[in-house]
Amino acid sequence: MSDPYKVLGVSPSASEDDVKKAYRELARKYHPDNYHDNPLSDLAQEKMKEINEAYDAILRMRNGGSAGGGSTGGASGGSYGSGKYAQIRMAIQTGNLAQAEQMLNATRVTDRGAEWHFLMGSLCYRKGWLDQARQHIQQAANMDPMNREYQAAAQQMNSGGFAYRGGFGDGGQRGCVDPCDCCTALLCLNCMCR
Amino acid sequence: MFGYIIPAKCELKVKDYDRFRAAYCGLCHSLKRHYGPIARFVLNFDFTFLAILLSYDAETIPTDKKRCIAHPFRKRTCCNGGKPFRRAAGYSLILTRWRLRDAIADSGFLKSLFYRLLARFLGRAYRKATHDFPDFDTHCRTQLECLRILEAQNSGDLDRVADAFAQILPHAAEGVTNETERRIFAELLYHIGRWIYIIDAYDDLEQDKQTGNYNSLAARFNTTDGKLPDEDKDWLQTTLTHSANRTASAYNLLPSGLWSPILENIIYLSIPSVTESVFNGRFRRRLGRWERKETL
Repeated sequence: MSDPYKVLGVSPSASEDDVKKAYRELARKYHPDNYHDNPLSDLAQEKMKEINEAYDAILRMRNGGSAGGGSTGGASGGSYGSGKYAQIRMAIQTGNLAQAEQMLNATRVTDRGAEWHFLMGSLCYRKGWLDQARQHIQQAANMDPMNREYQAAAQQMNSGGFAYRGGFGDGGQRGCVDPCDCCTALLCLNCMCR
Repeated sequence: MFGYIIPAKCELKVKDYDRFRAAYCGLCHSLKRHYGPIARFVLNFDFTFLAILLSYDAETIPTDKKRCIAHPFRKRTCCNGGKPFRRAAGYSLILTRWRLRDAIADSGFLKSLFYRLLARFLGRAYRKATHDFPDFDTHCRTQLECLRILEAQNSGDLDRVADAFAQILPHAAEGVTNETERRIFAELLYHIGRWIYIIDAYDDLEQDKQTGNYNSLAARFNTTDGKLPDEDKDWLQTTLTHSANRTASAYNLLPSGLWSPILENIIYLSIPSVTESVFNGRFRRRLGRWERKETL
């Protein structure tokens, strides 16, 4: 394994807080939320694993004991539907887009329900065809308003997705609970009570 | 060429601004050295970005002090970028050539005459670039051909039209040897291309309405007098934000290097802010300022 300090981008003499800060920053960068359904999600997962291992290794070296690493919050596979759709879902997830597209197009127009639209949307998303992806996913969410997976996907499409942007601008990390936000909120509350 | 990929100058450190200018000058010198003095006319910011992006793993940035036609009295620092710069130079010639051909077909008599003359001038440089990068040339031609067909059909399938254009840029990473990094570049450049195509279409909406040229957004949405209704504007801005986010997410997987501050400035900051200023109509003026500054 490569030097864990190098992986986190800190010097070996860095304080525990600095290491933690660097780890947190990188964990935000490669968080699965930023790569949901992304064709590069496997690479982000690898990176996440790498920094988790590095962080654990540093803590172990420093404390001499075992330490709980960060949470990766691995992406959930989603619910699997009926036979054919499960196959299509699998094909999209493994990157076999041509097969998925063929199978989706072979479905009769009258049989195209919410799941069909959801999968078509996912396929378009993978290809980078974001205009159609949003239309299909919204259609799926409208057809089956009780399905949480479709609703979550529709929400993501409507917000324009997330990306880590370091210290710059609004990186779209609004979905995450930031410990600083939490502290500020408590501080404000405290002031109000007085 | 399009000019939408520019750094957010006010957010750059002075040393990074100087470095960006050195890259701009470096690309100009690369064009001259490899493809002759006339090739310098195709110099633009978009391909400066490409040159920098392709140099992502550079361990050093060698620079020279050089004079040129634009700056005959005082020597300018220019980046001696090597292979990535040569690639960017060749690619920009090839893309310009094929876009000129489209422009000749689309314009009236006088304008097309001007473009023909320009194409004539660039002929030798272009042939040399084709010789260097035959695959990129074929690919570029096929994709632009595909785009022309869709335009002729007045296609309202925004994704498909943007895809025809966006597929060109990923090919610029053909020289990257690492398989994983090539995958990252493919995603990154695809979404940059998609973003450029759509933002350009939005910027040209009113003009295309006047000239009667094809515009993918006019075909996709219901426009009145070359303007989009607010609802569609929001929709479009979201899709652009999404492409910008996919670009940033892909970029984050690349190893960082000497050029990172500039690349991050462009990808994290400038792309969202250019989107914003194109949408509220302030972009043209801003770009004008940049260009004036550069030609001083």
